[in-house]
Amino acid sequence: MASGMQEKQYTPSLLSFFIYNPTFGPREGEEEKKILFYHPSEVEKNEKIRNVGLCEAIVQFTRTFCPTKPAKSLHTQKNRQFFFEPEDNFWIVMVPWFETQCIEKPNKDGKPPTIEYQEEEILDTVYGAVVRQCYSMYKLFNGTFGRAMEAGGVELLTQKLEKFFYRYLQTLHLQSCDLLDVFGGISFFPLDKMTYLKIQSFVNKVEESLSLIKYTAFLYNDQLIWSGLEQDDMRILYKYLTTSLFPRHSEPELAGRDSPLRPEVAGNLLHYGRFLTGPTNLKDPEAKFRFPKIFVSTGDGYEELHLIVYKAMSAAACFMISASVELTREFCEQLDGLVGPQLTLLASDICEQFTINRRISGPEKEPQFKFIYFNHMNLAEKSTIHMRKTASVCLTSVHPDLMKILGDINCDFARVDEDEEIIVKAMTDYWVVGKKSDQRELYVILNQKNANLIEVNEEVKRLCATQFNNIFFLD
Amino acid sequence: MDGQALRPTASWENGTLAPVDRLRAERADSPTPGLVEGTEPGAGQKSAMFVHAQSFEDLTAEAEEEARRDDELDKSGECAEELKVLVGEKTIEEQRNNSISSESRSKEEDVSSEAWRSHRKHVFVLSEAGKPIYTRYGTEEALSSTMGVMMALVSFVEAEKNIIRSIHADGCKVVFLTKSPLVLVGVSRTCQSDKELLRELQYIYYQIVSLLTLTQLNHIFQHKQNYDLRRLLAGSEYLTDNLLHRLDRDPGLLLSAVTCLPLASSARDVVSSSLQAAKAKNLVFSILLAGDRLVTLVRKKDQFLHHIDLHLVFNLVGSSSSFREGEGWTPICLPKFNTAGFFHAHISYLEPASELCLILVSTDREDFFNMSDCKQRFLERLSKRSAYQALKEALKCPTYSVAQVGIPELRHFLYKSKSSGLYTSPEFPEVYHSDEEQERLMGLYQDLHSCLHHPTRPLRSFYRCSETENLLAWVTSGFELYLCFSPLGTKALAVSAVNKLLKWIRKEEDRLFILSPLTY
Repeated sequence: MASGMQEKQYTPSLLSFFIYNPTFGPREGEEEKKILFYHPSEVEKNEKIRNVGLCEAIVQFTRTFCPTKPAKSLHTQKNRQFFFEPEDNFWIVMVPWFETQCIEKPNKDGKPPTIEYQEEEILDTVYGAVVRQCYSMYKLFNGTFGRAMEAGGVELLTQKLEKFFYRYLQTLHLQSCDLLDVFGGISFFPLDKMTYLKIQSFVNKVEESLSLIKYTAFLYNDQLIWSGLEQDDMRILYKYLTTSLFPRHSEPELAGRDSPLRPEVAGNLLHYGRFLTGPTNLKDPEAKFRFPKIFVSTGDGYEELHLIVYKAMSAAACFMISASVELTREFCEQLDGLVGPQLTLLASDICEQFTINRRISGPEKEPQFKFIYFNHMNLAEKSTIHMRKTASVCLTSVHPDLMKILGDINCDFARVDEDEEIIVKAMTDYWVVGKKSDQRELYVILNQKNANLIEVNEEVKRLCATQFNNIFFLD
Repeated sequence: MDGQALRPTASWENGTLAPVDRLRAERADSPTPGLVEGTEPGAGQKSAMFVHAQSFEDLTAEAEEEARRDDELDKSGECAEELKVLVGEKTIEEQRNNSISSESRSKEEDVSSEAWRSHRKHVFVLSEAGKPIYTRYGTEEALSSTMGVMMALVSFVEAEKNIIRSIHADGCKVVFLTKSPLVLVGVSRTCQSDKELLRELQYIYYQIVSLLTLTQLNHIFQHKQNYDLRRLLAGSEYLTDNLLHRLDRDPGLLLSAVTCLPLASSARDVVSSSLQAAKAKNLVFSILLAGDRLVTLVRKKDQFLHHIDLHLVFNLVGSSSSFREGEGWTPICLPKFNTAGFFHAHISYLEPASELCLILVSTDREDFFNMSDCKQRFLERLSKRSAYQALKEALKCPTYSVAQVGIPELRHFLYKSKSSGLYTSPEFPEVYHSDEEQERLMGLYQDLHSCLHHPTRPLRSFYRCSETENLLAWVTSGFELYLCFSPLGTKALAVSAVNKLLKWIRKEEDRLFILSPLTY
């Protein structure tokens, strides 16, 4: 057979992902007990034990030199492993693997091809952040590992881990992770004062009429407008909503009016509101009124809440109600009747305002730059590099190498606490500018190959003046 | 600079900004017209003096390169043949002990203490059997179990047909380098990249090979896997200690280049030709040093000295005061030249209190008197010329102040001419006078260097503006330039400074570089 016809082997981007606790099987011969979750599960038992053993050894060895700072990653010729100890003695290990990490060089004379490994293809900060995100997402829906241990011991914990990660890992798209995952920020919807007040009064009214509601969050176009949650909880909830829940439900709105995909709208012409979690059709006598439960932090612990996500056109409201309350059909109908029409109205208001604002600012000229902005204080992020976020892919409009240069600059910034500015010219002649000021970071990619340092600086100054006129950046 | 209208406006609409192909190999042309590859300031006129790394990258592709060079030597090198005969040499130890006074090290340290842990950079060398060979801090005995663990990690990963590279924790990283039959481990709290740390471990590896030859190392461990190599290396640890110190301080090791004593070219030419005239049958390299600075280097036709080998020679000479006591004669392996055999170096100072040190490298172990004779001939010839006086004068100011360049806010710079493998740099200004500050500045340069020479994402230029200084680094096909400005320096100043500095170096190149290297 011609060599060109050989089937190319595609490897998934996650080589392995496992969770262990070294205190669960301290005696020899009991090592398997340490392993709480292992993906892929079909890996042979001894290999699992070996891989966990290596991680334990690496962690232990690193303590010789830094007893207080645990090991975070192991680099080998073929891959990188990321370690995270979210709770005492519980370790999460992730080993991503991408095709771009190795290049096959064909050899003459029928010798097998030489494999060259690209050892700098992966950024530690990005995948370190992804592991932490995995844990946060587990915790959002299940509470801590410790909670499961208290409730039902190792058995319950492994069940929960299996149930959650089996599905969650399939939704990870490691290849498209980048600097935005390091920030884990929230995109805020820009709004005029009047409309903002309307939304706030809407939230107040709903919380007053339905006193069961403890917290509310309001989003438009996948961007946050209002949230009553703690920042860190909102950050992970936002991640869930925008990368998992919303994309799964976006189709019905795009579908035609008579499409079977939108039964709930067909039966209700008063408003466009519908539940994204819980019952799909209130009229259905068989409808179940079960909502996903989430765990958010309180002053000294966490509380369990029902998560109701209700959407009308592009506006989405999240209502959180204590899990100790049982939610009934009556409550849901009341909520639907109250929120549905108002949210529909608000959504069209915001949409109108948005288009007016757009028109005022004039037709957008294709700018000579793309940028990412992040504010550590309020987690606000803004990117003109990422075209759209979906469940499957995060499309960027720049070459992956440029994205990695942004990541490199970010690492540089993270090392010192001072304000800094870095301007680099890549081999492809793109200019990349990074600015760190106070708690804010700005990264700009300029497509002006013949510009010099001074011109690049002027260009970035102009950008700061138009986009961030109230923020001071070190000159 | 370019007018607004001339600016090409490639559109973003075509979906991606992906380059057509990677231009990794191509660097931007020189900023000043007439400065193109090979004619950058400081480039030698005839041919390079020594082999040097064209780029940082070739340190990693080393194994193959070495094998290739060995092959070539096997085939043609008459010299290599002679060297091979010498491999069986057994007397190195005694000879070394004669020529180098072993300075005792005070290494007693509690290896479980916080003080030991918090050293900025640890270096460990062990054998593949896990036996300790060297530790920078503490004693090898106290660390034998730690080193055993290191070896276990290396072998464990190896068993999976993989190679361990590094472990990262916040503010601390561990880097592994396996160079059979040795394993080197670095533990660093600095911000240096893995690649920089590996480069330093490579140097330590070559330092050990230069004492024993790789052939002998392999031979020892093939016969006795469990061999305690410290028995052979006893008394030479200070060389490794010193090399590690240099790695933190000497830009030459970072740039893969050496620097010269500033000297009028007329005087340097006379010194070089005097050295050229004092030749002998087995003489391969004649090197004249002033402290850490090269005065001149004369080599046998077709034989090149790699910058790593040269730095090992510098380290040997700089680490020991015993060469001041008379004429030294020591075997030395130059591993980048040939890892299999020894050269023999005649090392002596021209005058008792002088900084000028002459190193004559011969292939023959019985050549001491011939080399001694060469030195006499060189001295006789040189002392008759006025150039000797000029050279002695030049020793009084072996460096220059950055103020001479006349750029306000410029505090310091490094300039490397790639084709000649030479660099120039002014003395450290007042702000960087303390050891700590100098090491901090070196750290900043190391940072710039590793960003520019990133293995998969190299850069053309890098500008960093921080609260303590502004830095600019620029690589072209001809040179590498690193500038350090005060935090008051603007970008406009930085841009104009580059042009001004390159012009100044061009004007001074006769003095700062060796433009016409000689062969016998």
